[in-house]
Amino acid sequence: MAAEIINEISEWLQKGRAKNVKALVEEALEQGIDPKEILNEGLLAGMMIVGGKFKRNEVFVPEVLVAARAMTAGITILEPKLVEIGNEPLGKAVIGTVKGDLHDIGKNLVAMMLKGAGFEIIDLGTDVDADTFIAKAEEAGADVICMSALLTTTMPYMKDVIDALNEKGLRDKYVVMVGGAPVTSDFAEQIGADYYTADATTAAEVAKAAIAERK
Amino acid sequence: MKDFYLLEGLKVQLKMEHVLHAIDCNPDSPVYEEMVDEYLEIYKDMEAFAEPVGILGVGSLSEAAATEEYPAGTKVVYAVLSVGDKIKQCSTEAFAKGDYVRGMLCDAIADNALFSLEDKMLEKLREMCAERNVGILRRLEAPHDISMKVQKDAWEHLKLKERLGIDITCGYMLDPVKTSCQVFVLTEDKEVFRAQHDCSKCPNLNCKFRNVEDRKAVKVTVRKGDGCRDISLEKDESLMDALIREGYYISAACGGKGRCGKCKICVLEGQADISSEDRGFFSKEELEQGWRLSCMLYPRENLTISFELNDESQFEAISEYRKDKITETEATSYNDAAKDSDGLYDIAIDIGTTTLAFQLLDKAGGNVCSTVSAVNNQRRYGADVVSRMQASIDGKKAELKESIQADLRNGISRLLKESGVNLKQIDTIAIGCNTTMGHLLLGYDCRSLGVYPFTPVNIRLTEGSMSEVLGMDGDAGVVVLPGISTFVGGDIVAGLYACDFDKNDDICLLVDLGTNGEMALGNSGKIMVTSTAAGPAFEGGNISCGMGSVAGAICSVKLEGAKANVRTIKDEAPLGICGTGVVEAVSELLREELLDETGLLEEDYFEEGFPLAKTSEGKNISLTQKDIRELQLAKAAVRAGIETLILRYGIEKKQVAKIYLAGGFGYRLDTAKAIAIGMIPEEFADRIEAVGNSCLAGVVKYLTADESGAEVLKKLVQVSEEINLSMDVDFNENYMEAMMFE
Repeated sequence: MAAEIINEISEWLQKGRAKNVKALVEEALEQGIDPKEILNEGLLAGMMIVGGKFKRNEVFVPEVLVAARAMTAGITILEPKLVEIGNEPLGKAVIGTVKGDLHDIGKNLVAMMLKGAGFEIIDLGTDVDADTFIAKAEEAGADVICMSALLTTTMPYMKDVIDALNEKGLRDKYVVMVGGAPVTSDFAEQIGADYYTADATTAAEVAKAAIAERK
Repeated sequence: MKDFYLLEGLKVQLKMEHVLHAIDCNPDSPVYEEMVDEYLEIYKDMEAFAEPVGILGVGSLSEAAATEEYPAGTKVVYAVLSVGDKIKQCSTEAFAKGDYVRGMLCDAIADNALFSLEDKMLEKLREMCAERNVGILRRLEAPHDISMKVQKDAWEHLKLKERLGIDITCGYMLDPVKTSCQVFVLTEDKEVFRAQHDCSKCPNLNCKFRNVEDRKAVKVTVRKGDGCRDISLEKDESLMDALIREGYYISAACGGKGRCGKCKICVLEGQADISSEDRGFFSKEELEQGWRLSCMLYPRENLTISFELNDESQFEAISEYRKDKITETEATSYNDAAKDSDGLYDIAIDIGTTTLAFQLLDKAGGNVCSTVSAVNNQRRYGADVVSRMQASIDGKKAELKESIQADLRNGISRLLKESGVNLKQIDTIAIGCNTTMGHLLLGYDCRSLGVYPFTPVNIRLTEGSMSEVLGMDGDAGVVVLPGISTFVGGDIVAGLYACDFDKNDDICLLVDLGTNGEMALGNSGKIMVTSTAAGPAFEGGNISCGMGSVAGAICSVKLEGAKANVRTIKDEAPLGICGTGVVEAVSELLREELLDETGLLEEDYFEEGFPLAKTSEGKNISLTQKDIRELQLAKAAVRAGIETLILRYGIEKKQVAKIYLAGGFGYRLDTAKAIAIGMIPEEFADRIEAVGNSCLAGVVKYLTADESGAEVLKKLVQVSEEINLSMDVDFNENYMEAMMFE
């Protein structure tokens, strides 16, 4: 019974039907199903399937967006219960576009997929300087720092952030991930980042794997 | 000259299909409907979200921004456009709340809104270039063409912070993020205008709108009656262009700009995107039925379509004119004269913007032996001279020339065939036409016609060989009659000649009631000429149910109360309404007081228009409020032109001895009705004469007169003085006044 309704939640989420997802999550809670199970096996599992399909070009951005919107609808219902039972997220990630750069769509999509992988997201927005990245990561007790840059003129600032982490002796505390149109894995290596990924789905997978490795 | 210009009246124009396409959402997407719903939700608030601004200014490249090709000091124009911060804020907020659909759409909408400002910017850029006598060599976009630092230069130079509240980041990004900055390299060669974005040079290879490789080959099946025909579309080709290329006659009155609605087709099979122009023209039901404007349709998949051929090939060309002074022996048996196989003949041709008229004249007697008329097939490139000019500038110069040459060759051979005369017997072919038609025929560059100070390439009497001018073999000499200016061409000079302006001591007025509304006032000593952009309303253009003067067009209207009795050309079942019908309908509505003096229809007819008749399919043919406004604009232009000419000439209306109305519309027009709507002053009522095709008459006179026609025409041009009404204070005042129905 529990498996059935959770499966249904995943199915409706993949179709992007927020209303159905919301109703089913409510119903599952009423049935007394563990909120953690609803989250992980229903919502997040569904989201990972959509992410995988997206990576294989089986679905396109719009399908992912409506699925993620449905996920939000489900999580909104679930959140108070999760807090109640003291559920810990998979990990915490601070994310932002670096100083001087105002592009945010790529960053937003990565945040969306990270959330879908079970991360708690602290989104710092755009034009974020090194001090803010570090202060917020420390404050939240984050595991991952994600940086985005879309311009060759702003890309070098990622190194400034990593240098600042090194200076403060905090570098090893965090998994540092970078991305954005002009960024390459060579560049990531040069500046001492841990990972570069080309798309949002891969970013979520890599972050998940990195956390698993650490724990 | 100012060193910077703020763009005024900017409005964003969204294309839903572009917005959705930008995020990979095409009509076959399983979530298409959801995306459309969300799009419309955002679109509702667009007015409040978008805050478009733009600025252009001349500057020069700094050391920091210089490239190898363009060193420091290179003269450039900086252009900055922005849609403000609000719309982007909406996107950020939505993402933060987990509403990813809305977030992504807001962002894509902001991009689309920003692109939509580009036309206005380019328009201003063109003006700036014209003003400074320079051209645009290249468009540079940071960061791929030029360093991002150039944005800092633009920001400082244009004082973006003070003027538009735009900031710049340390990474040289302009803030708000949905702000674009272009750099245009200037050149002294004013003929060049390479200001458009060049996809082939753009590094954004994943762009959904990249337009470099060949678009997937698309096949369109045209179904007409029982037959089908496949045509394939070339890259960047609209469906309308393809149909024209394949020989279908499409009357694109607006020149394919999505404004006239005459190129509509119905998609029977396949999905066709809906353009914003389509939304303006068709109801929801019609869109669902598949109606689209073919000029705005760039099919992305195979389609099957059908369309009603708007057959205007029977356009009634007026070749009649007052003959009393020209051919006195009209009764001569033409065929007898023509059978003289040794005799010599001349051909007179009038190239009108819409129609062509040809006449064969026997040289000995000066008699008209045969008359032929035809449609000017250049019409497919636009109904009026301005759209033809634009088409020529946009790279269709050779096509336009070939089109008119083919029409002329056709007309000439029909003329010869009808009268049994051999081409070898033709001595002279004389042509009268307006300046644009002349330029298109002779293959001149039309660019200078369209921009201040509107200088024609050549409007002197021009002689050439048949192969040069008509692209056909033959020994006859070809003459194109001289004009006065870009706006008052050889057709009017011929008309003046036909109406004896060269001999008259009395002051007379010649008015050509066409799109360009040329008019001339004067006598043998002094003539003042002008043109007023009357627009296409007299020819049924821009009228919702409007059509040319062809069979089935309502040409006469009588009202009994609110009941309309109409008459159509050739008494066929009504299809639409032509110019004279519009004039009659309006004058009747005034008489019945269903229309007030400001031109406002009775409230009952406000929404749907005033019904005049029904087509055989039961569709209403109505005159809408907008149609009445169109007529008001046209008639006010004519009236104000007449008033202003009289004022400038320094006479009074009663001193005008004769009023000649030229052109097909003038020929068919009931002058009492024209007076009733205030198009022509009441004082002229007893002295109006419709002279028909006065251009053709003038060309015939040139060929048959004993005197040297060339000398007379030259003198007419010499004594003519052109008045520019667009800057004339009196004209503008008269125009406003003439708009009323009083």
